[in-house]
Amino acid sequence: MNGLLVAIKAELFIAMRTFASKLIVLAPALIAAVQLFIVKLGETGQQARNNLLGASEFDRAIGSNAYGFFVDGLSTGLTILGLLIVAQAAYSFSYERDIGSIRHLFIRRVSRSSSITAKLIHLHLLAIISVLLLLAVSYFLSGILWEYDAIVEDGFELISEQEIQNEIKLGLHLALLPIPAAIGFGLLVSVSAQSATQAVTTALGITLAIDIFKGLLGDFSNYIYASFQPSLIDQSYLQAVSRIVRGYSDVLIDDRVLQLNMWVPLPALLLFFTAALWIVQRRKI
Amino acid sequence: MPALTVSGLNKSYGSFAVINDLNLQIERGSVHGLVGLNGSGKTTTIECILGLQAFNSGTVSVLGFAPERLHLAKGKLVAIFDSPSLHPNLTVRQTLEHAMLLCETPKRTATEVEEMLGISRFSKFKTKHLSLGNKRRTSIAQALLGQPELIVLDEPFNGLDAEGVDDVLELITSLNREQETAFLLSSHQLPYLEQICTHIAILNQGKIALNDSIANLLEKTGNSIQLKTEQLDAATAVLENLSGVQLLNVDDKGYMNIAVEGMDSASLNQSLVENDVLVSELILKRASLATLFREISSEGSP
Repeated sequence: MNGLLVAIKAELFIAMRTFASKLIVLAPALIAAVQLFIVKLGETGQQARNNLLGASEFDRAIGSNAYGFFVDGLSTGLTILGLLIVAQAAYSFSYERDIGSIRHLFIRRVSRSSSITAKLIHLHLLAIISVLLLLAVSYFLSGILWEYDAIVEDGFELISEQEIQNEIKLGLHLALLPIPAAIGFGLLVSVSAQSATQAVTTALGITLAIDIFKGLLGDFSNYIYASFQPSLIDQSYLQAVSRIVRGYSDVLIDDRVLQLNMWVPLPALLLFFTAALWIVQRRKI
Repeated sequence: MPALTVSGLNKSYGSFAVINDLNLQIERGSVHGLVGLNGSGKTTTIECILGLQAFNSGTVSVLGFAPERLHLAKGKLVAIFDSPSLHPNLTVRQTLEHAMLLCETPKRTATEVEEMLGISRFSKFKTKHLSLGNKRRTSIAQALLGQPELIVLDEPFNGLDAEGVDDVLELITSLNREQETAFLLSSHQLPYLEQICTHIAILNQGKIALNDSIANLLEKTGNSIQLKTEQLDAATAVLENLSGVQLLNVDDKGYMNIAVEGMDSASLNQSLVENDVLVSELILKRASLATLFREISSEGSP
């Protein structure tokens, strides 16, 4: 068995026995579920109030389509996942360096590059499991609490279910693309930082700073992978999908931005990963 | 092929040279102690040897591998560091199972090494809940899962109680004897090193000041005698006439420190008494590593 496989097995061994990995897998789905329950609770209250006051049911017909809530759940979950995964990536190497356990790997079986590659693979696995769980929980919970349907207004089908699903697929695809780059960024910070605390605060700090300043950066923000992530100040395509699947017709989508969303994250990942490998080969462990 | 060869190793932080033209060779099957004062460069030397930090110049070969390619040795080299380097959220058993993944061919089971080091009853304890001594035992236990040809130990006795020290000494001796495992031990505990090492290298200000077998080193260091008498002048005169005896100094408490070669303490006492010099105290100080180490360290100190 070569060093990379040993490193992956060693990573997974620890991941299965520690809290951080479980948090990354469960937290996005759990928070999305809590959000959906709270929205349903609020909506039920509002409905009771409208029934008592005899208000119009028009908005409810469009607003209560489960697809909209499903996308909201995804958006919230992916925002949480984006923050957790960058923090975990930043923590992974720097923490093992702090406690000294990474030394054993390097001396016994695993090269430095294999170790970083194993961490990259491990974090991707965590992200994939987390996204699958988030998808399942959001989909089924939205279906239980609301009803999946096409957008129909005055008896006319504005958007078919197939069209809605296609939009969601595209939105999800574009929202997931920056996650590998976020992992790469976290790893780069991890190998560069002096301690785990410094790594996590730096990685989260920069991620949140990008979120805050992306509005000011204008077109330049489209060259930063993090601009396309669902986030606290959300400008991702998934956020637009949430409005599209609710039947809003005022959503403007710039095709160039979609193209950048498609092509910026992968080179960013390669750049971060190459830089992380370069640094880890040279730094004192 | 030697287990470890270091030639002309240099390492500096900026303009400050930490290691200066260091040469060291450890033969397979030997137990080599590396001693030196704090800041003499022991840990830096070990880290350079293990590829954990880069060095400016020189060559290092560990079991035939360069430091940056030690992972290719596939577990034939094991290191145990000053800090236990354990994952705090894993139990002792999980730590050993994790270490087992790094062994190409495990030679012992986790249960066996737990028993060898007396940590069976802590098997289900998370390592963060262990005492320093038991953390160190767990750290050492990891090294015993495979069949290493060279074990590097940095301060292996730190935090161990007397029983723990005995266990580690016994382990080192038996591994060395039964499997011809070579050891590089860095420690301040000179009496322990004297018990188990075949060779000692004394590191002083980044240089190997002395490197030889224990037997040769102790031979170079003669026994000494410390005695006290009220008749200092008379005693000095007697000592000057004795062969193989040299008065080194008289300390501020009035003790005469005497280097002796080829004369035992009884004969010296007899000579003094025959010359009417009454000795109130006489202490034989046997040659030891500590004596030699102090001599070397004081020579190099500014």
